[in-house]
Amino acid sequence: MANLDAFLGLLPLLLKGAMNALEIALCTLVLASVGGLVLAVLLTFSRSHLVHGAIACFVEWMRNVPALAHLFLIYFGLSYLGINLPAWLAAIVGLSLVGSAVLADIFRAGLQSLHVGQHEAGQAVGLSRMQTLRYILLPQALRVALPAYANYVTQLIKDTSIASAIAVPEIMFLARNLVTSTFQTSLIYLAVMCIYAAMILPIGVGFIRLERHLGAAR
Amino acid sequence: MISFFQQYPEYWSDWSARLLLGARVSAELSLTGFALAAVLGALLAWAMKSPSVWLKPVAVSFIQGIRAVPLLALLLALYFTLPSLGLTLSGYWAGAIGLGLQGSAYVAEILRGGLDALHRGQRESAIATGLTPLQAFTAVIFPQAIRGMLPPLLNAYVSILKDSSLCALIATDELMLAARAIASESFLPMHIFLLVGLFYFVIAFPLSLLSRALEVRFSRGRKTIRG
Repeated sequence: MANLDAFLGLLPLLLKGAMNALEIALCTLVLASVGGLVLAVLLTFSRSHLVHGAIACFVEWMRNVPALAHLFLIYFGLSYLGINLPAWLAAIVGLSLVGSAVLADIFRAGLQSLHVGQHEAGQAVGLSRMQTLRYILLPQALRVALPAYANYVTQLIKDTSIASAIAVPEIMFLARNLVTSTFQTSLIYLAVMCIYAAMILPIGVGFIRLERHLGAAR
Repeated sequence: MISFFQQYPEYWSDWSARLLLGARVSAELSLTGFALAAVLGALLAWAMKSPSVWLKPVAVSFIQGIRAVPLLALLLALYFTLPSLGLTLSGYWAGAIGLGLQGSAYVAEILRGGLDALHRGQRESAIATGLTPLQAFTAVIFPQAIRGMLPPLLNAYVSILKDSSLCALIATDELMLAARAIASESFLPMHIFLLVGLFYFVIAFPLSLLSRALEVRFSRGRKTIRG
């Protein structure tokens, strides 16, 4: 029973870390979704080689370099330019940049999975390009993109753990501090895994429900 | 801008030697992790396909569990809690096993998806022509399924390579740890982390391109919105 007491003693701090992790994930999700959507629309409709080239460079760089390198670059590297971001902001900026690149690909695939006739029909009934996008293409494309988006969201929550490397007080960071002060190593890491699972599994189930719901509405 | 790049030649001989050494360890680490992921992933895929009542739920819950936990938590748990159970792993092996466990969940899904994508009739007709189940698998099913599996497997390797950077946090002497050591000595973190990003990019990007090229080659086109 001593273990149970120890476990309950650790929980409040770890749960506080979980809240911080969720806040970072939520801010990142909003920024990355907006960024990814803008990039995907530009990739699908822009005819400029410059725009395509610039976006491709951004997406490939973000996707082929570890997130940890991006976080270090932003947190430690930017001080070279005189920019010193607080750790939590550096984590949000870094994860949002990576997320924009990942979601740009996901949303682009969703848009490009639609038949070209969808766009032509929208134009033919007199909708502007923006209206066609807003009322015809995006609702369908986002439905196609939903499973991949769900994957991204769960991956993002897990990736907030990387922010512990730049001393953001989220679960992993607090857990490591607890380990050095209490030596309850296995207990703490077990609790950490349970907390992550408790955050991620319900989100997965929620997205599957949402997919079914949208599928049924079709 | 010019003065930024002038720093590189000055330190190049020191940095390049250390980073290349780290890159070699990263390559070995990620390949070991991928090999473990491939073996374990194949076992899991087989378990999910098996008619046994208990193998499938065990495999599915293992995969779900692994996918619900961040790699970093897995790595720290392997590195720090196993010694209390009497099993001490070096940073390298804790890293490789962590990457392998994490990767196996993805590999299993890729293999299962690749097998499911084939029509049932392929196996049935192979059996009907008198092949044994093993022959049907090696001569008919696998050669077709591997075409669909190869691009996502390459992507899985790229993920493992990028994720291997987290092993720096359990003191594995790989690329990212080398970069951090240099950054804290030289006080030039921007230079170092750009350079180390480039190291990862140079390995990962060609593999990503190859994966995409294979995917295009193996799939038939369809008229879609573009331009």
